[in-house]
Amino acid sequence: MNRHRATDIPRLGFFDTRRGRIVLENLTAYVFLAPAGLLIALFGLFPVAFAFFVSLHRWRRFPDHYNGLANYEKALGNLAYILFFWFALAAFALAALMIRRVLRALRESDSPTESLNLLSGLVCGYVALLVLDWFFKLIPAIMLIPRQVRGQNTSLELFMAKLGESFAMPEVLAAGNLMILGLLIAIGVTALTAWFFRSARSNDLIVWSAFATTLIVSGVFLLQLTLTEIRAALDAARESGEALPIWSQLVFVSAGVILIALAWRIFQRGINAQENRRFTLMAFSGLTLAVGGYLLMAELPAALAEADDDLLQGFWVTVMYAFGTVPVQLSVGLALAYLLFQPIRFRAFFRMVYFIPYITPFVATSIVFRVMFDAGKTAPANRVLSLFGIEPQRWILERNSIGELFGLPDFLAGPALALVVIMIYSTWTYIGYDAVIFLAGLGNIPGELYEAARIDGASGWRIFRHITLPMLSPTVFFLSLVAIIGTFQAFTQIWILRTGAVGSKVNTASVYIFDELQNSNRYGYASSMAFVLFALILLMTLFQNRVMGRRVFYA
Amino acid sequence: MPSQSRDPKATKAKKTLPPRVNRGQLAIYAVLFAGVIIAVGPFLWMISASFMTLSEVNLTRLLPENLLWENYATALRRANFLDIELTTDPTSGILQSIGISGYLWNSLRITLISVSGSLVVCIPAAYAFARMDFIGRNFIFALFLSTMMIPGIVMLIPHLLTVIWLGRLSESLFGPAGAWFNNWPALTIPFFASVFNIFLLRQFFIQIPNDLWEAARIDGAGHFKFLRSVVLPLSKAPIMTIVTLGFIGSWNALMWPLLVTINDDWRPIAVGLSNFVTADTPGDLNLQMAASVITVIPILILYFVAQKQFTEGIAQTGIRG
Repeated sequence: MNRHRATDIPRLGFFDTRRGRIVLENLTAYVFLAPAGLLIALFGLFPVAFAFFVSLHRWRRFPDHYNGLANYEKALGNLAYILFFWFALAAFALAALMIRRVLRALRESDSPTESLNLLSGLVCGYVALLVLDWFFKLIPAIMLIPRQVRGQNTSLELFMAKLGESFAMPEVLAAGNLMILGLLIAIGVTALTAWFFRSARSNDLIVWSAFATTLIVSGVFLLQLTLTEIRAALDAARESGEALPIWSQLVFVSAGVILIALAWRIFQRGINAQENRRFTLMAFSGLTLAVGGYLLMAELPAALAEADDDLLQGFWVTVMYAFGTVPVQLSVGLALAYLLFQPIRFRAFFRMVYFIPYITPFVATSIVFRVMFDAGKTAPANRVLSLFGIEPQRWILERNSIGELFGLPDFLAGPALALVVIMIYSTWTYIGYDAVIFLAGLGNIPGELYEAARIDGASGWRIFRHITLPMLSPTVFFLSLVAIIGTFQAFTQIWILRTGAVGSKVNTASVYIFDELQNSNRYGYASSMAFVLFALILLMTLFQNRVMGRRVFYA
Repeated sequence: MPSQSRDPKATKAKKTLPPRVNRGQLAIYAVLFAGVIIAVGPFLWMISASFMTLSEVNLTRLLPENLLWENYATALRRANFLDIELTTDPTSGILQSIGISGYLWNSLRITLISVSGSLVVCIPAAYAFARMDFIGRNFIFALFLSTMMIPGIVMLIPHLLTVIWLGRLSESLFGPAGAWFNNWPALTIPFFASVFNIFLLRQFFIQIPNDLWEAARIDGAGHFKFLRSVVLPLSKAPIMTIVTLGFIGSWNALMWPLLVTINDDWRPIAVGLSNFVTADTPGDLNLQMAASVITVIPILILYFVAQKQFTEGIAQTGIRG
């Protein structure tokens, strides 16, 4: 129908031309995206910047006052300063990476005017920062509105009046004017360069140089923040007549980390080298590692002396939790999947049943475990133990660690028995999930590989070791990443399975942060700890990517 | 993706082979059945214990002597899971209003709102990413995906502050009914735009052949019509996966509702059950088990209905990362 009409009517509307259709497509796409985009911006992207902002303040339910790195210092002691110093350096390093990309692209280009695109990137990057600056000057005032209008008859006029007042505050206004000016300049410059110097690479150039600018400015900001805070801390210490060895700690801890990283690199090279050089390289890496490790061992505890012990314990619990669950759940899941992959009947039934623990509400299954691992002599778990002639345990009420129960020395003590119950629970929950995903991964391995190996006379184990495992490595990588991140996020099972008797022995970092938030309303402090956790997760993911990612085989 | 050798096909191919039962196979079945017992054992005991007297639970009997169905009635009432109040006119006896309250009802309402909201928000977005060409598509998609990396605990505080603020604004717009805090918006709206859902749907939408779009366009259909009358009917499987996952997610939610609810008006079942059990230590274990069974049943029913597409969907996302 429409086609006929289009040919019948000679005058075409704008949206029927080629250019018009592109515009229409863009507009429709943005309309389709708008709800999701708005919500993700509000509840996905903005919170990260906002949480960092909150973490720099004393903030109990409502904003109180700016207090620099005090929250971080409270959480991590002097290590906080060291970490922030590194983050500043990392921002510069990333910026350098971006600049190198830009330079390489420019070297390959043949038109000299292409470099003018950088100007636009530079301005855009800087203006992005101006927008942030304005925004974060405005935020504290806006966040106070709910408190100001509380109790009064809440009307839209009142709310809007308060909102207007916050926009008109002098420093907000100044930052806002600067931002608007910057935005105008940025739009102008970008339009001009797009008009005159547009090339195939100009988009990349603009994005990279904008990123580099943002990174450099944030690096400067972070460095300045860190240095001011360190100086303030030193002054305060001098006044009270104490020695505060931040600088030496900074140097020693950094040296330790750098040496260990270096040892790792040398070790890597040693593995690949020929025999003669191999030995020297190995020995050298061992030596570097020893020195670096010694430096860290000597200075890290001192730097952490003022840290929040509960948080450190939370991290330690998290690490034990990860080591106690992830390897077990992955290997058992893989074994189950391998068995399921054999030519057997009822595969669908098994798969369905194994998945049940993962989909049932964690609260309910945790409660079952709570009852099964009760301390009573006749509780199910103790009944099972008594079948083997082992005396009953106190399970979820046991704060002593398993090492102590076996009479091992303190540093080998390991997790509290109550934490072990939580580990058993998590393993039980996730094995089925892992097995199902492994099963799908096994199904994706082409059968010809097995055929070929069988013709070559390979045994079952060798086939598994040299074909199945390498082909599955992306799945293993994915699952271990998910499992480790899941460990950091674990909440429900700990919330239900912890008892007053074990105190903080089972609190992972997330649970401790949540406690601080719910019981003490310390928003600023909780935010800073959440950021430390975030940084840790990022570092671990990077590390895993480097160490494991290299062994992953993508067919 | 060209290499689409799927699991079900392999299953079918192997099913046609007559399974030879030898010693090795028996061992495999033995291990797999042991796995089944470990996987569902706790559930079976939970169900069994929910019919026992308290002393039977404490002595870890495997089966109850008599089935105490009244445990369920008591649990429903004591844990405040469901409460139906029928108001009748005192003179004529005609039913005037039905007041339903309780955690089960709350969770049902929350789940319905958040799942349907999520579908309304995520389907168009996924469609735009999969089948439309617009400026900044890859950049925006990467930006969306990057939010999946951020741990929930980092978002908790900004979410809380944002919700309080937006709640004040909407209260001054719509009066007390517009509140966010301790009301349905705080419990559902932040989860409407799930990046995971968008990603999952996009992966599916991309595979729809382009010929269909060409044909639809010749017939004069725009994107909206194509989405509604061609893409959606084809995408029952991924939508079912999303619905199931969303259902489980909001049925499970504990941390966030603990923060944003202060009374039982909208408090979901996970919080209700958790409060019931932790307030009731050591308490009536048989009732705790009955309450847990009640919590689990809706999810299990949904799982058995949607099981096939759901496990497939999960497995697919797992492989692609």
